[in-house]
Amino acid sequence: MIEIKNVTKKYGEKKAVDNVSFTVNDGDIFAFIGHNGAGKTTLIKSIVGIHDFDEGDILIDGMSIKDKPVECKKLMAYVPDNPETYEHMKAIDYINFICDMYETPTEVREENIKKYAKLFEIDDKLNDTIDSYSHGMKQKIVLISALSHDPKILIMDEPFVGLDPKAVFDIKEVLNEMTKEGKIVFYSTHILDVAEKLCSRVAIIKQGKLVKSGSMKEIKGDKSLEKVFMELEG
Amino acid sequence: MKKLYSLIRACMTSDMNIFKINQKKTNKKSGIVLILFISLCFMMCTWTYANMFFEKMAPMHLQSIVLSLFVFMISILTIGEGIYKTGPLLFNCKDDQLLLSLPIKKSTVLFIRIFKFYVFELAFNSLLLIPLAISYLRWADSISWTFYLSTIIMIFILPIIPIVLSCIIGTITTALASRFKLKNLAQIIATTLVLLCIFYISMNMDNFLNNLAKHATSINDLITKIYYPAGVYARLATDFNVVDLLVFVGINILIYVITILILSKFYFKINSRLKKVTSTKKTNIDKLTIKRNSPTKSLIKKELTTFFKTPVFIVNAGFGLVLFIAAAILISIKFDSVISVLTDPETFALEKDIIINNISLIVFLLIAMAGFMTSITNSVISLEGKNISILKSLPLKAKTILMSKIYSGLVITTPPILVGDIILFVRFRMSILEMFLLLLLSILIPLTSHFIGIIVNLKYPKLDWENQAEVVKQSTSSFVAVMIGMVLLVLSAFLAFKFISIVPAIIILSIFTLVFILLDTILYLYLTKKSVKEFDSLSV
Repeated sequence: MIEIKNVTKKYGEKKAVDNVSFTVNDGDIFAFIGHNGAGKTTLIKSIVGIHDFDEGDILIDGMSIKDKPVECKKLMAYVPDNPETYEHMKAIDYINFICDMYETPTEVREENIKKYAKLFEIDDKLNDTIDSYSHGMKQKIVLISALSHDPKILIMDEPFVGLDPKAVFDIKEVLNEMTKEGKIVFYSTHILDVAEKLCSRVAIIKQGKLVKSGSMKEIKGDKSLEKVFMELEG
Repeated sequence: MKKLYSLIRACMTSDMNIFKINQKKTNKKSGIVLILFISLCFMMCTWTYANMFFEKMAPMHLQSIVLSLFVFMISILTIGEGIYKTGPLLFNCKDDQLLLSLPIKKSTVLFIRIFKFYVFELAFNSLLLIPLAISYLRWADSISWTFYLSTIIMIFILPIIPIVLSCIIGTITTALASRFKLKNLAQIIATTLVLLCIFYISMNMDNFLNNLAKHATSINDLITKIYYPAGVYARLATDFNVVDLLVFVGINILIYVITILILSKFYFKINSRLKKVTSTKKTNIDKLTIKRNSPTKSLIKKELTTFFKTPVFIVNAGFGLVLFIAAAILISIKFDSVISVLTDPETFALEKDIIINNISLIVFLLIAMAGFMTSITNSVISLEGKNISILKSLPLKAKTILMSKIYSGLVITTPPILVGDIILFVRFRMSILEMFLLLLLSILIPLTSHFIGIIVNLKYPKLDWENQAEVVKQSTSSFVAVMIGMVLLVLSAFLAFKFISIVPAIIILSIFTLVFILLDTILYLYLTKKSVKEFDSLSV
């Protein structure tokens, strides 16, 4: 479970995230929505321990990310909005490097790397250096490296950007599978129709403040998610 | 023109942030003070060198030859520096796509790239030319106002031909290298050779000066024939002629414009050839070896890959190591020359017996030189760039990450230093204890340098760079770390020579070993207590 408790993150005097609280339960696919600059990436980076925050707390399975960052991070995988990797590395070495950091057993990583590399149709290019890859291929490598260590919580920032339609379809299948196993998928997106179909819960953030949070049914009612979002933004 | 101004402003704003430290005002101020201090130290060194030359030439009224010689040497240095900066500064820049998509001429894009290069070299040349001019004021027979005018114009014009030459050489080598697999290696070897030549001349300065004094006029003729700007400055200083000045300025501007026009014909082809594409050879995933390593081992592997895939990093950091092995071989072969330098009453004035009986101290100083000149870690944090988010999201303590960078530094520095040690141990007779202490110091001194590098880099990180040369060569962090290393080296040498005649070498070595153990312990504690917090607060 992820518990966001009254989190505030300031940049100088500006509050990028302002007193935000919500909970993500096991088995949830949670969509985090907001316009550009609303504070989505800042909060995501705080959850995964990249940024510190000024007030409140974030609990991962009951552990504070501030007090036990390593233990919390071991449960999570993070996919950034830009596919940041060590580009001079071969793709296979990069994925293996990430697995080493999570101390993933050899059998688990071997099975997962093969499974996801074949699924994303990149298995025959794993021996190339990442700097020779296109944006979409890099995104696939980041996804494979995140999935290969079998995380309990997958946190993604705009994961569908740059992916081809088949890869988007495949990743949706993977996310559904994960939640069936009781894992958590938390991601930010601008693609509202995908979020509407895929996610069980949603939170909408505006200018750093949480304006709505709850189950997808509660939030959208009879309307479409897009309409609800536009009304809140208006 | 307005468009060009906007472009230059936009490009330079990001580049001039090399000295941007962080948002805190106090750190910003201390950073500026530090840069000024380092620049002053650099200028003092040039001034001292210039005085040495003028002192030899003044009695013969040949001061203007020193001006020619320095202009020539400054230009050679700029070319040497520029050749390996050309790659990262001109090619495969992060803003390639942005600039090339704008409605501007391709030659304008190239102009901006070379202009950025010019600004950096202008700063570098000023640090050399200004102290030269000040020193000339002291030694010149007479000074007129035209000397000041010529010097100011020279500061702005002198970098042009060297950067044009290094751009041409750099572009040709990049073009050739883009066809070969071992391009990094070729680039590294060529640059190291140039730097070794410069170092060799510097080491033989005394002989060089005496030869220069004997053959001054013919050398001057030769230099001015080879390199036209070298003679112009001397001529303008002694016998000012406005036509000479205008011709000089005109020629330089013309060369700059012609170079841009010609290079722009090839530049974009080379740049696009450098873009990598995936291989046509398909990988069989079932045959790939997936091996598990501990996090620390894997982090070290990653650091080593970064080091060996970054030529500018290898040359900058590895030069001290190459120099150490070269010096070990040279001293083994020509030990008599070393003795003559150390016994010279004008230098160290040591007795021959003292040197021979305390040879381990000379070896110690060589190790100290290699260790402190090899500051591998002073840009390893900055080199992470935006990838710092990857490291920070991993389930690792900051201490593990930072220590892995220290270990990788040791993995790089230890083998070459041990090779040099072995050469010197074979050539010179030393006790087992001395050899043991020297081996220990071969690890302890580079360790100090690595600790200082990371600590300083965390104080002055620069994560938003456009190319690697910015952080490896031009950052506050690399300046500061190298200067601290230099101070420690000079201090070690001073203490070693101060006590060499009165305290046995083994005692001095033991004291140095204890001092470096203590220093490394303090730096380790600082890194694990303070620097980890600085790492945790890093953000892009």
